[in-house]
Amino acid sequence: MLELSHVDMFFGGIAALHDMSFNVQKGEIVGIIGPNGAGKTTIYNIISGVYTPSAGVIYFQGSDITPLKAYQINRLGIARTFQNLRLFTRSTVLENVMTSAQNRYINSFKEDFFSGNISRTNCPDPESWYSFIESCLHIGRWKKTEKVLQFKSMKLLERVGLADRADQIAGTLPYGMQRRLEIARALALSPKLLMLDEPAAGMNPEEVFELNDLITGIHKDFDLTTLVIEHHMDLIMKICPHIICLNFGAKIAEGSSEEIQNNPEVLAAYLGTDEEEVI
Amino acid sequence: MKRNIILIITGLCLALWPLGGYQEGIVILMCINCIAAMGVSVLTGFTGIFTLGHAAYMALGAYTTAIMTVRYGIHWLPAVIAGGLMAVLIAWLIGIPTLKLTGDYYAIASIGLGEAIRLIIENWQSFTRGSRGFPGIDPYTTRIMAVVIFILLAILMFNLLDSRLGRELKASRDDSIAASLMGFNTPHSRMKALVISAFYCGIAGSLLGGYMCFIQPSMFDMMKSTELTAVVVFGGLGSMSGTILGSAAITLIMEYFRDISQYRMLIYGLLLVVIMVFRPEGLMGSHEIWDLLKSKEAVKKDA
Amino acid sequence: MIYLAFTFSTLIQQIINGLSLGSVYALIAVGYSLVYSILLFSNFAHGGFLVVGGYACYFLLTQLGYGVAVSMTFALFASGLTAVITERLAYKPIRERTSITLYLLIASMGVNIIIENLFVITVGGRIRALPQNTFPTGVFNLMGGVTLSASDIISLITAVIFLGLLQIFLNKTRWGLAIRAAACDIRTAGLMGVNVTFLISLVFFVAGVLAAVGGIFLSVRYSLYPQLGSITTKAFVAAVIGGLGSLPGAVVGSLILGLAEMLTAGFISSQMRDLVVYSLLVIMLLIRPAGFFGKTISEKI
Repeated sequence: MLELSHVDMFFGGIAALHDMSFNVQKGEIVGIIGPNGAGKTTIYNIISGVYTPSAGVIYFQGSDITPLKAYQINRLGIARTFQNLRLFTRSTVLENVMTSAQNRYINSFKEDFFSGNISRTNCPDPESWYSFIESCLHIGRWKKTEKVLQFKSMKLLERVGLADRADQIAGTLPYGMQRRLEIARALALSPKLLMLDEPAAGMNPEEVFELNDLITGIHKDFDLTTLVIEHHMDLIMKICPHIICLNFGAKIAEGSSEEIQNNPEVLAAYLGTDEEEVI
Repeated sequence: MKRNIILIITGLCLALWPLGGYQEGIVILMCINCIAAMGVSVLTGFTGIFTLGHAAYMALGAYTTAIMTVRYGIHWLPAVIAGGLMAVLIAWLIGIPTLKLTGDYYAIASIGLGEAIRLIIENWQSFTRGSRGFPGIDPYTTRIMAVVIFILLAILMFNLLDSRLGRELKASRDDSIAASLMGFNTPHSRMKALVISAFYCGIAGSLLGGYMCFIQPSMFDMMKSTELTAVVVFGGLGSMSGTILGSAAITLIMEYFRDISQYRMLIYGLLLVVIMVFRPEGLMGSHEIWDLLKSKEAVKKDA
Repeated sequence: MIYLAFTFSTLIQQIINGLSLGSVYALIAVGYSLVYSILLFSNFAHGGFLVVGGYACYFLLTQLGYGVAVSMTFALFASGLTAVITERLAYKPIRERTSITLYLLIASMGVNIIIENLFVITVGGRIRALPQNTFPTGVFNLMGGVTLSASDIISLITAVIFLGLLQIFLNKTRWGLAIRAAACDIRTAGLMGVNVTFLISLVFFVAGVLAAVGGIFLSVRYSLYPQLGSITTKAFVAAVIGGLGSLPGAVVGSLILGLAEMLTAGFISSQMRDLVVYSLLVIMLLIRPAGFFGKTISEKI
């Protein structure tokens, strides 16, 4: 499904990622752990196209997505949340979800007329699309599509438990709710790969417990492949059968939760042979 | 629907209320200013791109229409539309290099480009008569026509903002990185906003030409651009009805204080500073008038 | 042959004029860029500071009859003070409440309009000239009819002196270090014990002084009127070409702009010079959107 092959990322000579390779199978939940500054978010940034890697190739569903722009990668079916919340703060909760729901793209296959090669393209989901003229005049598909978008978005808000906050301005929500809204907004794109960046940050134990159920629930219901970056080891160990551990931009261990827990290098990275932060 | 009814009733009042010749002029001016302000608002208030050169698009509209009607004898209606389209064309050309820029880089570039357009019009003497101005334009901008165009454009604008495009623009205003990671091609979104705003300003310019019967490049200088942006800030960044109210209010205030017109710009300046210091959200914040009506009803329902 | 000699001397002449004009732009652009590097907003009131400097110098010279040195010193001080007051009254309350720099930009635009129109109302929009004897007016004839006026030399030398002083101030003094630190990250600088309020005032004072120097030279070169501040648009363009927030960039951009303007005036037509300036801007934005020395600000995601 997703493959990173020898990816390097340099920022002005400093390697944020070095020779990073891993494979994610369809339907997996993969946990990415590592001390602060290990390069976890950088992985998300290069997969989602915020940065272009200095070297290496990223494959998604078999095709090379390295040169694509962020919005193109997103349209292939990769959605993410953000460590430092990036909601559309001045819009309402419902509008936030509708904004991405309107951007659903579906894959279709295109046969090249001359060579007969079949390539994957993506086009807007006809259910959530209408034209500029229809927007101007509020005619045609406008009314129906808006209703559909609203309905779908409300469904998602119910799923993450924010339905009663639909008309509130997103920026005024409490922290934990903003995190859940980010998840709903990413889901609205009906992605194939969902990347969660520290979804439990700033949540209390009870909320983390609920989040646990939410992540495994949506993973199953929406037929997702999920990547999770998290510092809450309990959460990761519980929901991720497959864990990748990073330190200083390199992969130091990969395997099941038991393997990771017993790996001496992981313990060294976390418990610290030097002044590394203990988590 | 309620929104359209409010707008149409406003339009009927503006168009049919018996007024003297002087007041009619004010109504026309108000409509023109509101159209231009709507254009700037969609760019600055809804897409978060700060512009200081939009008077140039008014100039493009005004000159296109003036030259078409006076020199080629074309009827004013196609000429006015052509004025808007000319502004769109130039905005599109300008947008290609500049809309990659964000923030202050774009603001500076917009000053430069706005001035450049004005200078071209000023120096192209054979075609535009340069800084002497372009006289003899038919007074095609009547009160009814100005009001009709204004209300029509307002309805279109509100419809647009209440659709996928409106959400797209707001997304790229609030967080352009998040927007691009939600599948929006943000430079494209900005281009759409610029092109729409140029169209509105172009039309406003065309109407201004027909109202004044005389245009000259100095009417569309940086002061005019600043004025347009100031009005939008006053009305509320992110509120189209606020923009319209603000623009109408300022037009009226400026007419009322005509005797002390030398203080006009001083008042603009003070207004900008005071609003930014005490109420940066402007008159309406990012609410629309009908939102206020709705929330009052909701309160009543709860009670 | 004669024609070639003529164009060659025009070329030299216009290069001299361009450098002199560019050096004045540099004074303005550097102050503007300095403020941008700290607070990350375009201070459109910069043109207002320049006008304050010009008028202060004019009134001290003509109405109060002070000498050139005294008048200039006071004018620089007045402009610097205006900048500090502007910061305290208009920008500080906004800065303290929000991090949205757009609000600062709009407020600065307002301040610029206020200053400009205060002069229109109080002293009138009349165009004034600084007295003839403000600066030496001698003209040196170089080879081939090329002339070098004393005011050109003075403006070039003054610009070099002031920019040199600024460089020394930024690199050799404690507060210079603090300013450079704040340009990297003002919040961290504050946490490290730098008095940010004073630092920002200091930056505005320095910017105001530099603007006043530029303003005085502009009013000698052209004349003095309330809208003189609008010439800062070109200094802004120069700063953008050099890269916003970069001081060497501002100087390089200004010199390029000055040269381009004067060479256009000499070889094409003086009406085209502004157009050439703005086309340069567009070309630069197409090739290097961040300018020559601009850093592309990478946001943490």
